[in-house]
Amino acid sequence: MQVFFQTIIGGISLGAIYALVALGFSLVYRTMGLVNFAHGNVVTVGAYLASTFYLTSKLPFALAMFVAIAVTGVIGLVIERVLRPLENRDFDLMLIGTIGFGIVLDALVIMIWGATGRAVPSPVPSAPIDLWGIRIRTYDLVVLAIAAAATVLLVLFLSRTKRGAAMQAVAMDHEAATAVGIHVGRSNAIAFMIGAGLAALAGGLVGPLLYVSPALGGALGIKGFAAAILGGFGSIPGAIVGGIAIGVLDSFTAGHFQGYSELVTFLVFTVIIMIRPTGVFGERTVNRA
Amino acid sequence: MVRLRATAISASVVLALVVAAGCSAPGGDDKKAGDDSGPIKIALVDAQSGQLSSLGAWELKGAKLAVTEWNAAGGINGRQIQLDVFDDQGDPTTGTNLARKIDSEGYIAMLGTAESAVTIAMAPTLKTAEIPNITSGQSPGLVAVGSEFLFLNGPTSTTYDETLAKYIVDQQGIKDIALITNNGSYGKGEHDAFTKALKTRNVTPLVDQVVTADQKDFSAALTTIRQKNPKLIFLGAEEVESGLIVKQARDLGITVPFAGAAPQGTPVFLDTAGAKNAEGTIVSSPYLSNDINEASKKFATAYKAAYNEEAELHGAKAYDGAQILLTALKSSNVASGKPLADAIRGTKYQGLLGSFAFDNTGVGIFATSIGKIENGKLTAASS
Repeated sequence: MQVFFQTIIGGISLGAIYALVALGFSLVYRTMGLVNFAHGNVVTVGAYLASTFYLTSKLPFALAMFVAIAVTGVIGLVIERVLRPLENRDFDLMLIGTIGFGIVLDALVIMIWGATGRAVPSPVPSAPIDLWGIRIRTYDLVVLAIAAAATVLLVLFLSRTKRGAAMQAVAMDHEAATAVGIHVGRSNAIAFMIGAGLAALAGGLVGPLLYVSPALGGALGIKGFAAAILGGFGSIPGAIVGGIAIGVLDSFTAGHFQGYSELVTFLVFTVIIMIRPTGVFGERTVNRA
Repeated sequence: MVRLRATAISASVVLALVVAAGCSAPGGDDKKAGDDSGPIKIALVDAQSGQLSSLGAWELKGAKLAVTEWNAAGGINGRQIQLDVFDDQGDPTTGTNLARKIDSEGYIAMLGTAESAVTIAMAPTLKTAEIPNITSGQSPGLVAVGSEFLFLNGPTSTTYDETLAKYIVDQQGIKDIALITNNGSYGKGEHDAFTKALKTRNVTPLVDQVVTADQKDFSAALTTIRQKNPKLIFLGAEEVESGLIVKQARDLGITVPFAGAAPQGTPVFLDTAGAKNAEGTIVSSPYLSNDINEASKKFATAYKAAYNEEAELHGAKAYDGAQILLTALKSSNVASGKPLADAIRGTKYQGLLGSFAFDNTGVGIFATSIGKIENGKLTAASS
């Protein structure tokens, strides 16, 4: 029983990170119908920026995170601006464009920070909480709280603000949105910016849990992408559920199938997707390709 | 007008390419034979990017130091040594492509890689091309390849883990041992070698957990281990993963020491785990510290002067490997192919790791020492 609960705890902790990555994927997808393949690399950049401001510039962790999110947000804007001329013209080229950006970011990371990587000490040094023999890291609770807060803010932004409503409108029907005077390009830019910010949030938060290296984003990107698909691509609650589900699933297969855990995780994932191709919450309202 | 100029430019580019291609005769031009002027070309293949790049960086530094020393002393037979770096990204497929590349570009020997799986993948190509290769891998799988062109610059996992088992079981009397290893080439080698060493001592591990090489969450495996209350946990994974395992184990309230081979003695492991968490880790290594003897002190000083960082095992191993290759090149009058491989096999060398004398399997050294991480530093253990 102890193993069971401890496995869930471990899974939820990383699952929250996958959920944040999935949110970024989904937000861009629901707005533009585009899969941003550079997303994983933006996670890496975010992780490096946050760790640099935290370790080298000695900023407090929260402030370091904030700066990292701002800088990666700008990177998101740049990606969108460069790809904008292709919007509604050549969708495949846009996809390739995001892959290209991913490669560029990867190379930049290695040029700036080297290929070796770094360890980030936990900003919450207190000992884990012991609950009937089940240990919960205090930092995990911080991660969960921040992930929850980010989700609530995002939902509020999309449902309560004019800009957010405009983005929803673009997601539903971009031609109609253009007709009523909504700037589609600006909507897309904001989606990319928030998506990149979420990637940085995920990368910055995962730094103290793992090891910040150029390979970090690749691993998180794939799991985050799978999480977004599992929850229903484009759906905000879907991204959260998908992220936690992938995290917990991963944790359990690791316990039961050991060396074959990765294989089993993705087999289960494939079976779920075959039974429910649109994911848990998916309805696929966006289809512009 | 503009278009016309563009056409003219592209035409001239095409022409230049055709001319360039024509100059280098296709295929049959084997540069290895008869090329006895100009620099001696040696390839260093190692991960310069990816999760294993710290290994690659250390290797490069160690090998480069040896080559620089030889070049400063006038090279070999008046020829300078040219060490070129290739990035295998820690990936076997990239490795096999590089094996063909260094063959076609006329390198006479190869140093690296640090990753057993990559070296094993490259071995058949290098064997066919008759390019001797001194690797830093330590998996017993390297010996199983059975290539007469493959040499190891250190002991295999069998030696590391036999020494470790001897210390833990025979000397310390610890028999309640848990295993956590990854299913990569290195981890599997460690798992098999340590299990074998335990078996000869009639010790069965309490629990044997296998993780994947890029796993991030070890809650399930570690909680299972915790429930069995072992006195010691054997760790068979690369630097970063080992560090993560130790960190998460401490978070889960596991207080017993870990034990392992080369990766657990590195700064990357120490940083990832956190010095406090890694305290008491038992390490089996052929190169515990820079202060063992005069040779290691000299090496450490030169290393520090060149790169402004402390030398460690992997740099020392690569340095030894490069020294052995260069010594063999000198004694064979810059031979290549099989004569060079024979010269390496015949080289007796007193290196930083100990006395090298190669046997038929390509292994040259059969001893490691036991160290312990104390106060954040690896020091020789008092038995």
